[in-house]
Amino acid sequence: MKVIRALRWLSMASVLSSLSPIVHADTPVNLPIPLGLPPLVIPASNPLTQEKIDLGRRLFMDRRLSHNNVMSCGMCHVPEQGFTSHELGAAIGLEGRSHRRNSPTIFNVGYQRSLFHDGREPHLEDQIWGPLLSKNEMDMPSIGYVVEKVRQLPEYKGLFETAFNGPVNAERLGQALASYERTLVSGNSRFDRWYYGGEKNALNTKEQRGFQVFMGKGRCVTCHSVGEKSALFTDHKFHNTGLGWERTMFPDRKSYRVQLAPNVFVDVNAKHLKPFEPPLPDVGRYEVTFNPKDSWAYKTPILRDVELTSPYMHDGSLSTLEEVVDFYDKGGIDNPEKSPLIVRLNLTSEEKSALVAFLKSLTGDNVAALVRDARQAPENLPVPAQDPSDTYLDLINASQP
Amino acid sequence: MPKCNNRFSLKALAAAVSATVALGVTTLPATTYADETCNSPFTPLIKGQEDVVYVWTLGVEGVGDGSDKLVTVDVRPGSKTYGKVINYLSVGGRGEAHHTGFTDDRRYLWAGALDSNKIFVFDIHTNPAKPTLVKTITDFAEKTGYVGPHTFYALPGRMMVQALSNTKDHGGVTGIAIYNNEGALISKHDMPTTKIGGVMGDGYGYDLGINPQKNVLLTSSFTGWNNYMMDLGKMVKDPDAMKHFGKTMAIWDLKTMEPKKIFDVPGAPLEIRWSLKKGDNWAVTATALTSKLYVIKQDKQGEWQSYDVGTIGNPADVPLPVDISMTANGKGLWVNTMMEGMTRFYDFSNPMKPKEVYSKKIGSQVNMVSQSFDGKRVYFTTSLLGNWDKKGKDDEQFLKMYNWNGKKLTLGFSIDFYKEKLGRAHHMKFQALDLSKLQPLAAGSQNLDSLKLALTEPKGK
Repeated sequence: MKVIRALRWLSMASVLSSLSPIVHADTPVNLPIPLGLPPLVIPASNPLTQEKIDLGRRLFMDRRLSHNNVMSCGMCHVPEQGFTSHELGAAIGLEGRSHRRNSPTIFNVGYQRSLFHDGREPHLEDQIWGPLLSKNEMDMPSIGYVVEKVRQLPEYKGLFETAFNGPVNAERLGQALASYERTLVSGNSRFDRWYYGGEKNALNTKEQRGFQVFMGKGRCVTCHSVGEKSALFTDHKFHNTGLGWERTMFPDRKSYRVQLAPNVFVDVNAKHLKPFEPPLPDVGRYEVTFNPKDSWAYKTPILRDVELTSPYMHDGSLSTLEEVVDFYDKGGIDNPEKSPLIVRLNLTSEEKSALVAFLKSLTGDNVAALVRDARQAPENLPVPAQDPSDTYLDLINASQP
Repeated sequence: MPKCNNRFSLKALAAAVSATVALGVTTLPATTYADETCNSPFTPLIKGQEDVVYVWTLGVEGVGDGSDKLVTVDVRPGSKTYGKVINYLSVGGRGEAHHTGFTDDRRYLWAGALDSNKIFVFDIHTNPAKPTLVKTITDFAEKTGYVGPHTFYALPGRMMVQALSNTKDHGGVTGIAIYNNEGALISKHDMPTTKIGGVMGDGYGYDLGINPQKNVLLTSSFTGWNNYMMDLGKMVKDPDAMKHFGKTMAIWDLKTMEPKKIFDVPGAPLEIRWSLKKGDNWAVTATALTSKLYVIKQDKQGEWQSYDVGTIGNPADVPLPVDISMTANGKGLWVNTMMEGMTRFYDFSNPMKPKEVYSKKIGSQVNMVSQSFDGKRVYFTTSLLGNWDKKGKDDEQFLKMYNWNGKKLTLGFSIDFYKEKLGRAHHMKFQALDLSKLQPLAAGSQNLDSLKLALTEPKGK
């Protein structure tokens, strides 16, 4: 009897709910900032609310935000893979179209002062339109198409009205996604507890030695800044290390070392790969500024959680932190616009090993929680039976003479 | 759509398989029927000359209507339209059309798309020369969490679908879905990710094949969406991408759908072909990356083991073995290598020591191979995956039929799929115009219908 009564109540509640007007809600969220991170600047035009965060999380994981309902933000920024993808150097997008660059992690993306490896987007609220509309990412046909599609998806019914006191539009889509992404703060690492928290044993001797190398002989801190009270491990600037220059100017090799199976490698003659797509040219920050000084310069990445965000560099061409350290130890790759900050280091193997150990101490203590939080949102939802633009036209045609 | 109930269960399958063994209906043909060895043992066969060949074709932007389509080719000798395209049916969009499979009555053809995750069900019995699309399953990924419906393998009243990837990260961890013939999802089964028989499962999937006599299902492993959708050249140069290929095969108890043993088969084992020769207890596969032939065979103690039995070409040249086709007597195997555009014929009289006895270049690239029942006609198509096919002048797309006299291949006809504005030619299936000619694989057995009944009748009826 209790069950029947409960079902009746639920049914009645459901009816009442459907009759009730949607109530706008602004549940403010005061995001706790972990040890080691600076205060997070939230734009006054987009204050954090729980409703926007929940909506943004749902949008982030929804594969229907791509033209063919296959790609979500979370398919390239996989929560369990450090919000990047461990399986790809440079990403691929809709229908497998090639991308030139690696999916950057979005841990601590709220602190970024520009978005994308070349910094072409200043605002997190606007950033979503890059991947949503790019032919080689999610390939949505237009801004209006995205808005109309989300408006038609039943799972979003009322959510924008609740979060924004108004229907879905382009601005609100960006605000919701940015709100969720700002919650991906990750700090209070062992390094933070040692350096900022005064826990003497939070880092072992080798890791402490690695920090010395990072700050001294290794010159890492020159670009990966460390402050007195907090550290983002980035100067937010763009630097030419030579990697992008070499990939574009000298893309051809005689052969490629290729893994066929675990511990089975062969050298594949490049002639066998001629019938396939050639490497895509990439001039880095220059593509934004048209300043030759910016040629092949890419943004300094935040190093927090770096052990979780392989592969590395703007094109994902280095698989391990050891390879990254070796690359910088050799002074990058010489080219006319190489950053003068990047010089040969002559690190010993002990110093390199310590440096890698230190980098692995930068993992935040809340990573598992952030992954669980992301997976609250479903990635598999019913695909619309009809193209949203056709549905829109049907509605318009029916309502207008 | 054929009527059948939704009350299928693993128990029912188990009971049916037991009944199969008990009734002795698993006597597989010892005749020289071929190609259809890749079909499920629960699918009836064509006796004699095939009438049409269906080619599941990938749409290409800028080629014709750009849509994925099912192409029908007349292959009746003497017909006015012999060797010609007599029909095509576009399904709309480019979803990475890939493989197809017959239902257990061969009246419907299920065709999958590895990117869109759509499954198209074609009526191929009302008018086999002009198939119609009767159902599109659009919620495969949503319902299963799997991506890339790849292999379609008939069970009595049911369709087993092996997937390649998943919706969480587009990696290679995936599973098997079982549908009824009406297109309703019945159950799903994850590929093993634990250690079984001393080998850790990678969770990857590719092909599957059933040996009902032994009550076993054999599965292989490929790679996830991230790799199979990527340009092949880009992928080979990406060291992180190349770390994510399957390296295992697994033997399952078909009755319970429980994996019983995992084999270490490195280098992406792909197509699975059971020998249909009476008394044989082995299957063969080719590994795409390491270019090996592996045999999975019972040892004297009845334990299933894997054996590396040979190398195909030079692995450093990336020959990329793809489709294989076994003669029905289990004594010969066609092996195609995509990068070389080559087919090789192996003498498999001794499966532990196969010998390459013939080879021929078919084109700049070649993927699928299908033989006629008598083994005298061998068909080839070109497309592997939309982004793994070669680019530029090497991107030939064709269907070619060769006559095979046991010593050499002689070209019968060729259809240029680009010239015909069709797209990339991929999976082939044969069909008869008169379905009354269909013969059960268990030739001569009258018990197949009983078997189907056992699987599809509601319990208690």
